Amino acid sequence: MAHYTPPKQGRASQLIDVIVLVILTVGALFVPLWLGLAGAAKSVETPVANPTWETLGQTPAQAAQYEALGYTPEAAHDLILARFDYSFSITALLTMIAVILLYYFLILRFSEVEYREVIAEKFGE
Amino acid sequence: MDLWNWLEYAAWGLSVAFGLHMAIDWLKTDSSYSEDVLTSSREGELEAMAEEHKVKS
Amino acid sequence: MTDVDITSKTMDGMGPHGTKVGLLRVLGPAHVWALGVGIVLVGEYMGWNFAVGKGGAYAALIACWFAGILYTCVAMIDSEVTSTVASAGGQYTQAKHIIGPLMAFNVGLYLVFAYTMLEAANAITAGYLFSVVASMAGYQAPLDQRPFIILVIMFLAWLNYRGVLATLTFNLVITAFAFIAILVLFLATSGIAGGGIMQHAALFEGHELPYGWIGILAAMHFGLWYYLGIEGTTQAAEEVRSPARALPFGTLAGIMTLLIAATLTWYVSSGVLPWEYLGDGVNGSVAPLFDTARLSGSTALVWLLGFGTLFATLASANGCINDASRAWFAMGRDKYLPGWFGAVHPKYRTPYRSIVFLVPIALIFALGAPLDQVITFSILSGLLGYTFMPLNIILFRRKWPLHSIKRGYEHPFHPVPAITLLTLCGVTFFAVFLGYGTQLVAMIGFYIVVSLWFHFWRYRFVNRGAQFTMPWPKPLGY
Repeated sequence: MAHYTPPKQGRASQLIDVIVLVILTVGALFVPLWLGLAGAAKSVETPVANPTWETLGQTPAQAAQYEALGYTPEAAHDLILARFDYSFSITALLTMIAVILLYYFLILRFSEVEYREVIAEKFGE
Repeated sequence: MDLWNWLEYAAWGLSVAFGLHMAIDWLKTDSSYSEDVLTSSREGELEAMAEEHKVKS
Repeated sequence: MTDVDITSKTMDGMGPHGTKVGLLRVLGPAHVWALGVGIVLVGEYMGWNFAVGKGGAYAALIACWFAGILYTCVAMIDSEVTSTVASAGGQYTQAKHIIGPLMAFNVGLYLVFAYTMLEAANAITAGYLFSVVASMAGYQAPLDQRPFIILVIMFLAWLNYRGVLATLTFNLVITAFAFIAILVLFLATSGIAGGGIMQHAALFEGHELPYGWIGILAAMHFGLWYYLGIEGTTQAAEEVRSPARALPFGTLAGIMTLLIAATLTWYVSSGVLPWEYLGDGVNGSVAPLFDTARLSGSTALVWLLGFGTLFATLASANGCINDASRAWFAMGRDKYLPGWFGAVHPKYRTPYRSIVFLVPIALIFALGAPLDQVITFSILSGLLGYTFMPLNIILFRRKWPLHSIKRGYEHPFHPVPAITLLTLCGVTFFAVFLGYGTQLVAMIGFYIVVSLWFHFWRYRFVNRGAQFTMPWPKPLGY
């Protein structure tokens, strides 16, 4: 197999490559944020009016710790009652699995092609 | 001016100082050594040396 | 190459392939331990408690131990491969030799992002700590956190720039302090040394598993936070004096330290703080060990754990700068990234251009994005990396069976750790999906785009055969 000689990369081209990578990275982080798709928020399903430690479901021992931390039942209301919503759709789950599998398939496939070339040149055929 | 105001300014000042020190040293280094020397590091030196020493003996 | 003397102090790191200036080999096993544990220990001081919020205190303990199994597999696999492929870049170089260039490029990016995001998260936390101290000291106006965030990043980058030995010795001292602080807190509050304040049974009553079984799965997402970053020990490979011995030793000692620290942390925090408060890391307990110390009523413990928290964030950010810059440098050296980054400072012997370049990147994340978002990106990049490791070790053993090359360390029970690791990664993907499915897909979308960019454009600048640098025989099956 012929020995591959890579082209020399100029300063400007190097700079452009770095800028492309930075833009992609910042994009991956901030696009979900801008679209408002980010994060799992907790919410209070059934608020309790005039909460006491008993109606918030706290035993005296638990209430004592909250008081030691400086909470009143009113102040701790949201903190104690907020819950995550773990319901999900099967379609979304299958989409995620498909995306992950596709991704690993893609890199393993391309890597294998490039790897064979590396081994062929290194160990000379 | 409160103590913490001063600390804020001190933090800005120190950040600039550390940043400038790195930037100046970086430019000085880049201009006083050739690019060939600076980027001459190669992977796997230790392994290569161990091999060649074995071959020699 | 007869003029090369590897025992020479002045020529250290300079070798036969034309390396005139290389990284300095000065580190011992203790530094490797400090690098690995230093990055992670901050996870005990803050962040892990989100797992409590995801599924309750028991779920967090189960997640802690399952994540512990996951990371023990990671540490075993890493120790074997890296004791053989000892080079800056760690898993990136492993992937390049074992799976192929595109995988290596992806792994390199996982590393840089996981560490740079973690560094940003640490700087945000340190800024927050300063503001807490200011308000505790009676400062009325809200403190401007930005100069402190920038100072943390600038100071640690400067330290890294000036040399690896000072950087990791600094890490060793502050990491040891933070670890001892956890031990002292445990001894002082558990009742072993008298005066216990633990009341697990009373606090768990009625809230054993608030979300049921799915809460345990969901807790795995932040269960990773107990240990995330221990795999970074491999980045020091080119700077330790004897990689084949120091890397497995430092890494395995590190994971043992963390298993102890994680379990003790869970024990003291969940025995004092009610789970709803403990599990809300934003409105509730930002720093659970510190809050535990506050409730102990001892001023000495409050100070000890306050400094422990600050030191843990600094140690973590410091290790992250070290690891991210090594990975970036290694990719530059191979022309996977512009070759300009592959430079070593002739006096300090550090990859100085990579260190400087990553400073503004870390600042963008630290000043521009919310903390949970940054943490999630860090966890996701880490998770993609852990999914790569079982593939890596299976192919490593297949292409170079045990007798074909000399390994510094061979991990037992292959392929059980690899399969366990892959299964646990699957569970964690599901846990991330429950809360942050959109980010997961956005992140993978990003990696797909970058992979295409690499394969069709960037790879033309890479030397083909020469990037395979290990003195190994030809892999089986090629």
